[in-house]
Parts: sequence; structure tokens; C-alpha cells
Amino acid sequence: MIAKFTVAERQWSLVLLVLTALAGLAMAALGAGDAMGVHGFIVLIVSLGLIFVVGGGLFAPEPTEDRRRAYYDDPIKLGLVLAMVWAVIGMGVGDWVAWMLAYPEARFDAAWSSFGRVRPVHTTGVIFGFGGNALIATSMHVMQRTSRARMAGQVSPWFVIIGYNLFVVMAVSGYLMGVTQSKEYAEAEWYADIWLVIVWVTYFVLYIRTLARRNEPHIYVANWYYLAFILVVAVLHIINNLAMPASLTAAKSYSLFSGVQDAMTQWWYGHNAVAFFLTAGFLGMLYYYLPKRANRPIYSYRLSILSFWGITFFYIWVGSHHLHYTALPHWVQTLGMTFSVMLLVPSWASAGNALMTLNGAWHKVRDDATLRFMFVAAVFYGLSTFEGSFLAIRPVNSLSHYTDWTVAHVHAGAMGWVALITFGAIYAAVPMIWRRETMYSWKLVEWHFWLALAGTMIYVFAMWNSGIVQGLMWRTYNEAGTLQYSFVDTLVAMHPYYIARAIGGLLFLTGAVVGSYNIWMTIREVGHEAKARDVPTDSEAGEPAVPVAE
Amino acid sequence: MSVKKRDPLTGHQTTGHEWNGITELNTRVPRVIWWFILVTHLYALIAWVLLPAWPGITGYTKGILGIDQQERVERQVADLRAARAPWRDRIAAATVENIRADPDLSAKVAETGPALFGDNCAACHGAQGQGGPGYPSLVDDAWLWGGDAEAVLETLRVGINADHPDTRFAQMLSFDGILSRDEIRTVAAYVQSLSGMETGADPDRLAEGQVLFMDNCASCHGDAATGNTDLGAPNLTDDHWIYGGDDAAIFTTILRGREGWMPAWEGRLDLADRKILAAYIQDLKGQAQ
Amino acid sequence: MIRWLQKLYYPIQAGHYRLEKHSIGLTLAIIFAAMIGGFVEIAPLFTIDETVEEAPDMRLYTPLEQAGRDIYIREGCYACHSQMIRTLVDEVDRYGAYSLAVESKYDHPMLWGSKRTGPDLARLGGKYSDDWHVAHLIDPRAVVPESVMPHYAFLAQRRLETESLPARLAALGKVGVPYDAAMIENAERDARGQANPDSDDAGGVAERYGEATQIRPFDGDTARLTEMDALVAYLQILGKLTDAASRIETAAIEADMEAAQ
Ligand code: HEC
Ligand code: HEC
Ligand code: HEC
Ligand code: HEM
Ligand code: HEM
Ligand SMILES: [Ca+2]
Ligand SMILES: [Ca+2]
Ligand SMILES: [Cu+2]
Repeated sequence: MIAKFTVAERQWSLVLLVLTALAGLAMAALGAGDAMGVHGFIVLIVSLGLIFVVGGGLFAPEPTEDRRRAYYDDPIKLGLVLAMVWAVIGMGVGDWVAWMLAYPEARFDAAWSSFGRVRPVHTTGVIFGFGGNALIATSMHVMQRTSRARMAGQVSPWFVIIGYNLFVVMAVSGYLMGVTQSKEYAEAEWYADIWLVIVWVTYFVLYIRTLARRNEPHIYVANWYYLAFILVVAVLHIINNLAMPASLTAAKSYSLFSGVQDAMTQWWYGHNAVAFFLTAGFLGMLYYYLPKRANRPIYSYRLSILSFWGITFFYIWVGSHHLHYTALPHWVQTLGMTFSVMLLVPSWASAGNALMTLNGAWHKVRDDATLRFMFVAAVFYGLSTFEGSFLAIRPVNSLSHYTDWTVAHVHAGAMGWVALITFGAIYAAVPMIWRRETMYSWKLVEWHFWLALAGTMIYVFAMWNSGIVQGLMWRTYNEAGTLQYSFVDTLVAMHPYYIARAIGGLLFLTGAVVGSYNIWMTIREVGHEAKARDVPTDSEAGEPAVPVAE
Repeated sequence: MSVKKRDPLTGHQTTGHEWNGITELNTRVPRVIWWFILVTHLYALIAWVLLPAWPGITGYTKGILGIDQQERVERQVADLRAARAPWRDRIAAATVENIRADPDLSAKVAETGPALFGDNCAACHGAQGQGGPGYPSLVDDAWLWGGDAEAVLETLRVGINADHPDTRFAQMLSFDGILSRDEIRTVAAYVQSLSGMETGADPDRLAEGQVLFMDNCASCHGDAATGNTDLGAPNLTDDHWIYGGDDAAIFTTILRGREGWMPAWEGRLDLADRKILAAYIQDLKGQAQ
Repeated sequence: MIRWLQKLYYPIQAGHYRLEKHSIGLTLAIIFAAMIGGFVEIAPLFTIDETVEEAPDMRLYTPLEQAGRDIYIREGCYACHSQMIRTLVDEVDRYGAYSLAVESKYDHPMLWGSKRTGPDLARLGGKYSDDWHVAHLIDPRAVVPESVMPHYAFLAQRRLETESLPARLAALGKVGVPYDAAMIENAERDARGQANPDSDDAGGVAERYGEATQIRPFDGDTARLTEMDALVAYLQILGKLTDAASRIETAAIEADMEAAQ
């Protein structure tokens, strides 16, 4: 892998690595006694390890010029492998956390293993570790193929993937040590946040430069979505994480905003982390791997335009639906509610566009579990966005908010949509990127599919039940006009559902482990593909038609 | 130059462009989508007209319904209170005995009591009022401040050692430094013997304990150690214990002293609620027996 | 109507068709489209006065309470507990007056929460005794057998780190909490004093933070200042920084009674 770097690039990388090593050393020394010091050590060790790798290849001969005529997929491989590693970690921790809610002593007798510290390890592990790596890796795959251009740079893709994972490691190890800003999905502390900004800007520059090199007059839909994902997440991340550190040599910081403004900013971020991370990014994935696998044209280009701009414009307004009936002024809640309902149109338009694309390929959906992953994901996408818009209506939210109904909705989206589309995309991508003829075992893909589907159904149904039961119990009045149940009564009622959920989660996790094994064996055992080489070429077809004419 | 093809399956034209093998159809946006847009946007428009919605720099549109969530819940709470008032006013005015004698009111107590007790009292006194280490049982006959309803209601109102200005004050002194450890063990044995426990102490020691008790403890717990409900000093001759009746617990009680904290509920629960609880405790006691 | 909508859509399609040929154009358009909503919803929250109510009696967290709040955040209590009583009858009935914006005015960040695995804590202050909190945090199931809350016994053992308190209050000062120089300077002493009523440091706490400040050995032991002291001090102040909410409620009840007459 170093052999493909030019000598200048190797030197560049070394300089960069020495800089990060120094930064790590400084953090370790100055932050000694604080969690920041531990993070400094992690940065230092990772940098030193990489210096070792790059240094070892420093004097290898210059690569040949013809590498420029090939796509650059090596960093993507790392990204995909890491996505599966995080899938197992994140979902494993998720299932542990689920058991803890049923049996609170299912933990170690140590501070780091309490529910409050471990839960964000799950959310960050699956969203940023699993989802983020999958998004970055597939985006690099998709942008090259749909631009017919090699990635713009050889160092920056590695920097993006490794730097990004360093962020996730700092985040989750921080939570276990008690380092958190408590802002959901943005819990990592200020220095990790700053690091992510650097990584993310590099990612954007890489993306835009690759698009600029494209041999296609037009930018493909998948890239619109990936681009929206990169851009909006950057803005959200920077604004929501504005904070004042108590000291430059310690982790603790205080959010710039307070009270009601902080709540709105947080959920403007929180919801749009859902929208632009868990939705836009994965729609980008869907728009490439689904038509590719089904070998069918996208049902409607015009519908794509409508849903893309609808999603980009409407989503941003709806964060206040996380704050219904709270001290947030009523007017903001009305905006959040109404925009959430309008948002259903572009959401279903994109789900519909995906499903209609499968017209003519239903036999493949039946036979090919990889495509079936993507099909079911699109269905769950439609389902969870419908549910989301429904939950955003104030009276509905008065029942669902604070209960497991939200958790059911989250996992219909997160397991049913995000994880399934990712598994589908990875099964489609692995043979392409490693240039294997097929996956190691189609039977294992089949197994994974059914485990994942069963796990999702059990999880979601259990949480729907518990959420609605709990919400109703909280507000049940008896004939005298007083509350019927105490809080602890509702707690007791949750217990069986919590067990069911943990079992569903275990099935889902097992599926992910099976998938990881299958991918591993594909890389190790399956023979290379003999087909034509997959290289950037000039576009054959010219301009697409202007959409108004049919 | 674009190569437009017709998709044989749907009959729609492609846009003529191809990305890494992917083509797109130029299908019109289906009519149902337009209807969908129409309906959802109409819904939004209506909501914006009716409800508070759009901000300016220093204000926002209030909506023609004039709804505000805070006023609304205040009205709902007031309505609920009004609906409950007929029986709650009667409860507030009645004595606990009368409440329990009145089948209608005691039905209300039975309905309201469990959640009220569960959300406020059970954390300390246990789900069935059975008490726990440090928290007295409410279903036995041992009362610190007297078992009549008035006393219980007053305890609920002002709490014990709480932050209410009229709070009841009850302190078991710490005898650390006043009595030697040996003396403490002796008086503890005496205290245990009062409730008929087998202590293994010989009569001399018990007599010695009795003297110590008379000198140090009787001022609060009474000569006969039957307690003093004016001071909240418990009866030590029964077999009900707040902190436990074993050697270690009693030793700690005498050595370190005790000062239980029962919160004052006046600011949280109104008179009717407190009466319901006082009556409900009696129900619990009935169930326990 | 539908025709009209379709017509409206043509220029959008045509505009997009041109835009998708320019990566920078697409970038700018995305940023523009995606920023409008956030701006319209967030900016006015800073400019519309009635967003945050007036509460002249609002007091600040003492250093000990703020340290407790930091522990609450560190342990992730917000993952299970909300601190926001919504404007719904059953919540007002169960937890007390609905929460006002002003009550979290000094909360950087707010801890309104999004999940109630455990009950709301917005008005917890004074509901239970210090001893109960200590016992509950050490072993929740010893006091509430049905509880699924984790145990936090180590808090009672761990010394409270107070050295960074002045810096922490100063940072809060920079983001708008009106801590004055004396408060920042005395932060460590005040933290010790608040948990030890008999010490010389106790007097300064009441002086700086008001007579109503709770000065007690929260974990039951004056000899050591532990993390338990801080957390319990924080739990005991929840809902008690200002009377604004109960004033509103009393006013509403009175208005209602007048109307009834
Ligand atoms: C924080 C824990 C706690 C809570 C909550 C609590 N109590 Fe108590 N309660 C106590 C303690 C401790 C005592 C005994 C005080 C003492 O030891 O002097 C007590 C004493 C009492 C007494 C007096 C018993 C006697 O023998 O005179 C009554 C009655 C009582 N509680 C009822 C209630 C009711 C009803 C509620 C709910 C509204 C309640 N308590 C909530 C801790 C609590
Ligand atoms: C100043 C008054 C006072 C004096 C003197 C006093 N007590 Fe107490 N005692 C109390 C009060 C009040 C309580 C209840 C404390 C509580 O519940 O928090 C109590 C509680 C106890 C208890 C615990 C009962 C239980 O149910 O767990 C024991 C045992 C006890 N006293 C024994 C003694 C002995 C022995 C002495 C003398 C050495 C003594 N007391 C002196 C007031 C006093
Ligand atoms: C796994 C979820 C969970 C976490 C994490 C958690 N709690 Fe709880 N908490 C509960 C549950 C469930 C209850 C209700 C049962 C009980 O009282 O233990 C509860 C009850 C409470 C109560 C009593 C509230 C009342 O009004 O009865 C307090 C106070 C409390 N928790 C504080 C904390 C603090 C402080 C932390 C963090 C250090 C914390 N909790 C972390 C689940 C949790
Ligand atoms: C093995 C499968 C999984 C299990 C067992 C699991 C379990 C859990 C549990 C127990 C919680 C805490 C709920 C609570 O506090 O009551 C949770 C929260 C969450 N999980 Fe999962 N999870 C799984 C998969 C996933 C996946 C794949 C994703 C995302 C891609 C995800 C995203 C989330 C999010 C965002 C939350 C926070 C929800 C909220 O705050 O409302 N989970 N999960
Ligand atoms: C039209 C689309 C959607 C709308 C309108 C929507 C709406 C909502 C609403 C109303 C809530 C509950 C807020 C509360 O009561 O606290 C919620 C929570 C959530 N939704 Fe969605 N949702 C949509 C799609 C999705 C999708 C596709 C995902 C994918 C994973 C998702 C993930 C989440 C998460 C993680 C939460 C929990 C946030 C938290 O409390 O921590 N949503 N959403
Ligand atoms: Ca952060
Ligand atoms: Ca949440
Ligand atoms: Cu949302």
C-alpha cells in the first residue's frame, strides 16, 4: 500500500504523522491525570505505529505512472473492514445495554460499566463507527465510479479514514472514562470535536476535487446526497459543539448555549444528524448499489430531484419535534410539526423511487439476499419516515415522547433502514472492490438476512408495545380523576419487553457476526475475478435529456 | 449526443445518460405525489393560520385560535381540579375517620392512594408501607408522633427534621464521649431486654443498664421506655425497630445518634392529598394484617 | 391545482439540471437550502424577549452543586432521566408545575433529556432526604426493589476534585453565567464549606449564594468531601433555583378561584 505512494507523498505523510505524534505527546504530557492524557497516548501510539509503517516503505521504488489510470480502492477496503468491526462492537454493546435494562446487575462492578456511560458507546459505535465508516468508504467507491475518475489524492483518503476512526475511538473511550458533553450524538469533548472538523474538511475537499475531475458532464444523484451529507453534517457539528473548555489541558467544557436555546440547537443538530447522516448519506448508498445490483434504471430522475431538494430543505426545520410541549416556545413546535408532515412527501418519494426501480427485478429480490437487504431497507425507510412524521404531530408525541416508542422508531430506522442498506451495499461492494467473483457463501448472506430481519421485527415490536403501554400507563386516570399508576408500576410492566428486545438484538448481532465472517472469508479464500478491469474511462453517453421533455 | 432508449419493461424513456452502468428513466413525477404535496401543505398552512407559528424579530404570529400551550395546560389542570373538587373538598374538610367511614370517600382513597403513595412515599416506606432500614413501618402500631390522624397529618405537612419552618424536630443524641463503649453495650443490652429479647446478659448487667437508661435516656424515651410522642422518641419496649434491633444497630444508634429526615409535603401535596395518604396508610395496615 | 404545481416544478427541474453540472454551485445551493430552517427557528430565540421568562429571584449553582451537575453529566444520568415537565396534565399532576425556560437559563448544556427510563427529576429538590439519596445511589435496589438504575457506590468513596472548580466557574462565566470574581476565587472553599456547616468556610457560601442555600453534610460525613456530597447537593437543588414556576401556578389557581366565584 505504501508502494503506491509517490516518494513525495511518503515524505508528506511522515511529516503529518510526526505532527500528530507531537500533538499526541503534548496532550499526553499536559493532560496527564485527565482523560485527555489518555487520549494523548492513544494519538501518540497510533501515530508512531503509522510512522513505522510509512517509514518502512520510505525507500521503495517510485510507483509507475499507470496507477493513475486505475481507481484507488485501498483505503476503501480499510473503511469497509472497520465498518464491520464497529458493527460488531456497537451492536454488541447495544445488546449488552439492552440486557442491563432487564437485569441491571448484568455489568461489572466498576464505574465505567454503568448504563449511562455505556449507552453512548452503543449509539456512537453504531452511528459513527459502523454507519460513518460505511458512508465514507462507499462514498469513495461511488464518487470514483460515477465520476469515472480516480480519487483526487492518495494521502488524504487514508487521512480521512484513519483520522475519522481516531475520532470515534476518542469518543467512545472517553464516555467510558466519563468524558462527555451530554449532547446526544455529539457527546465527544471539544478536542475530539476539533479533530473531527479537520478530518471532515479534508473529506469535503477530497470529495469536491474528485468531482471536479469527473469525466461526466453531470453529477449523479448518489453524489448529491453524499455531498449534502458531508456539507450539512459539517455545519451542524461545528455549531452544536461550540463550547468553552474549562482548561486547555483537560477535557471538560461547557456548551456555549444554555437552556432553551441550547435545547433547540441540540435538536436542530440531533434531528439532522438523523437526516443528513442516517438518511441522506445512506440514500446516496442506495442510489448506487440498488440499481447496480438490480441492473435496472432508476425509476424517475425527476422524482429524484424532487425528493433531494425536499429532503435538503424540509428536514432542517423539524428538529423542534423533539421538544414538543416543553419550555420551547409553542411557535417553534408548530413549525417543527408542520414541516415534519410535509417532509413525508420527499421521504416517501425517495422510498418509492427505490422500490419502483425494482420493477422488473422482483425475481432477483426473491433470489438474491443482497438485493433483498436493500429492498427491505427501502421498505423500512418508508415505514420509519411515516412513523417519524406521525410521531412529530404534537398530540401523538405527547404519548410517545420519553417512552420506548421513540426507541422503536429509532431502531426501525437504524436497524431496518440504516443497517440493512449498509449490509446490502457491503455485500454488493466487497466483490467489486476486492475483485472477487462472488461472496464466499451466499447461504451465509441468506442467514444474515433472516437473522437481521427477525431481530429487527422482534426489537421493534417489543419496543412499540412497551412504549405505548408505558405512555398510556403514565397518563391513565381512574374514575376519581387521579393518576392510576405510579412510576414504578410502569417500570415493572416494561420488564418482559426488555427481555424480548434483548433477544431480538442478539439475533441481529449474530447476523452481523455471520456477515463479518463471510466477508473475511471472501477476502481470504475466494478467487480473483477474471472479468474486464474496472478503470476510469471516458463517458460513452453524452448529455442526459433535459427533464421537462419526455 | 445522448442515447435515449425506451425501457422495454415500463415503456418509459431513459434520460439517455449512463453512470457506471446505471441509467435513469425520465418518468414524470406521479400524480399521487402532487396530491400528497397538496394535502400536506394545506395541513401546514391551516396549522400556521390557527396556531402560533412564524417568528419575527421580537414577536411571532399568535394564530387565530389564540392557543398557547402553557395557558392551555393551566386551564386543563384547573378543569381537572374542578372535576375532582366535589369529592376532594369533602375529603379536605373531613376527618380521616369520617373519610374512612364514608363508603364514597373511602372508594376515592382506594383509587387515588396507590399511585400517590407509590410516587411519593414508597421510595422510603416501601411499596406496602412496610418500612425499611432507617424508615419506619407505617403499618404497625408503633408511632413516633402518635398514631391519631391529626398527628400523622401534621407529620405529613411539616415533615420531621425537614426544611419546613414548623418541622417536627427529633434527634437521638450521640452518646459518643458521654458514655463509654462498654456502657453503651450495657444499656443496649438493657434496651433489648425490654422487648423480651434474649441478650445473654446477666441480671447485674441489666440492672446496671437500667441505671444508665434512667440517667441518660429516660428523659426522652420515658422511665418505662415506652417513648414520648411529643419528642418523636420511639417506644423501645415493642419489637418494632426503625434502625434494627440487633446489637450492632442499637450500638450505632446510641454511639452516633440518629436524626431521620422525613420530607415536608405541604409544598408538594395539598391537604386533600395528605388526608388521602393518611387514610390510605390505614388501608395498607388493614391489608398487612 | 395539480397542473399548476407541475408547472411550478418545471423551473426547479430545469434549474437543478443546470446546477448538477457544477459541483461548487451544487455545494452552495445545498448549504443555502439547508440553512434557512435553522436560522428561522434558532435566531429568534435570542431576540424574542418572552422566550425566557423573568425571574429576579433566580440564583446560581454553588460550586458544589455545579460539581454535582458535572458528575450527573459524567455518569450519563440524562440517558434515563429527563429534567423537563411538559405542559401536559398528567405530568403536572405527577411531577409538579411544568418547567419554565428560565429554570434552565444557567444550564450549559441543558439536561432536558429524551428518554424516561427513570422518573423526571426537574422538581426533585427536597422530595427525599440526603440519606435516602445516598442509600439509593449506593444500591438502588436496596430501597426500590423494582429499580433498574445502576448503582454508584464509588461516589461515596471518591474524593471530590475541587482544584479545577475556579477554572470551571470561570469558563461558565465566559459563556454567560454571572459568577463574580469572589465566587470564582472562593470556589474551592465554598465547595468544602457547603458540605460542612460547622467549618469556617460555611459562612461564605450563604453570603455569596444567598441565605436559602442548603448547607449540610450531604453524604452524612463532614470529614470528607466526596463526589456523593456534590451529586446529592445538586439533586437537592433541582427545581429550587427560582420560585417562578410555583408563582405561576399559584397565580393560575387564584385566577381560577376568582373566576369560579
Ligand atoms: C426521604 C424518605 C421519606 C419519604 C419520601 C417519606 N418519608 Fe415518611 N418518614 C421518613 C422517615 C425517615 C421517618 C421517620 C423520621 C424519624 O426517624 O424521626 C418518617 C416518618 C413518617 C411518619 C411518622 C411515623 C410515626 O411513627 O410517627 C409518617 C406518618 C410518614 N412518614 C408518612 C409518609 C408518607 C405518607 C409519605 C409520602 C407522602 C412519606 N412518609 C414519605 C422518611 C420518608
Ligand atoms: C434527646 C432525646 C433522646 C435521648 C436523650 C435518647 N433518645 Fe433514643 N431516640 C430519640 C429519638 C427522637 C429517636 C428517633 C430517632 C429517629 O427515628 O430518627 C430515638 C431512637 C432511639 C432508638 C432507635 C429505635 C429504633 O426503632 O430503631 C434507640 C434504640 C434509642 N433511641 C435508644 C436510646 C438510648 C439507649 C438512650 C440513652 C442512652 C437514648 N435513646 C437517649 C430521642 C432520644
Ligand atoms: C438505567 C437507567 C438509569 C440511570 C443511568 C440512572 N437512573 Fe436514576 N432511576 C432509574 C429508575 C428506573 C428509577 C426509578 C426507580 C428508583 O427509584 O430507583 C430511578 C430513580 C431515580 C431517583 C428517584 C427519583 C424519584 O423521584 O423517585 C433519583 C434521584 C435518581 N434516579 C437519580 C439518578 C442519578 C443521579 C443518576 C446518575 C448518577 C441516575 N439516576 C442514573 C433509572 C436510572
Ligand atoms: C444489535 C442491535 C441493537 C441493539 C440490541 C440495540 C439496543 C439499544 C438500546 C438498549 C438502546 C437504549 C434504549 C434506551 O435508552 O432505552 C439503544 C439506543 C439507540 N440505538 Fe440501538 N441497538 C441496536 C442496533 C442499533 C443500530 C444498528 C443503530 C444505528 C445504526 C442503533 C442506534 C441507536 C440509537 C440512535 C439509540 C438512541 C435512541 C434514543 O436516544 O432515543 N442501534 N439501542
Ligand atoms: C420523515 C422522517 C422522520 C421524521 C419526521 C422523524 C421524526 C421523529 C420524531 C418525532 C422523533 C421523536 C422525538 C421525541 O419524541 O423525542 C424521532 C426520534 C428519532 N428518530 Fe426519527 N424521524 C424520521 C426519520 C427517521 C429515520 C429515517 C431515522 C433513522 C435512523 C430516525 C432516527 C431517529 C432517532 C435516532 C431518534 C431519537 C432521537 C433521540 O431522542 O435521541 N428518524 N424522529
Ligand atoms: Ca461534542
Ligand atoms: Ca435520546
Ligand atoms: Cu427528529
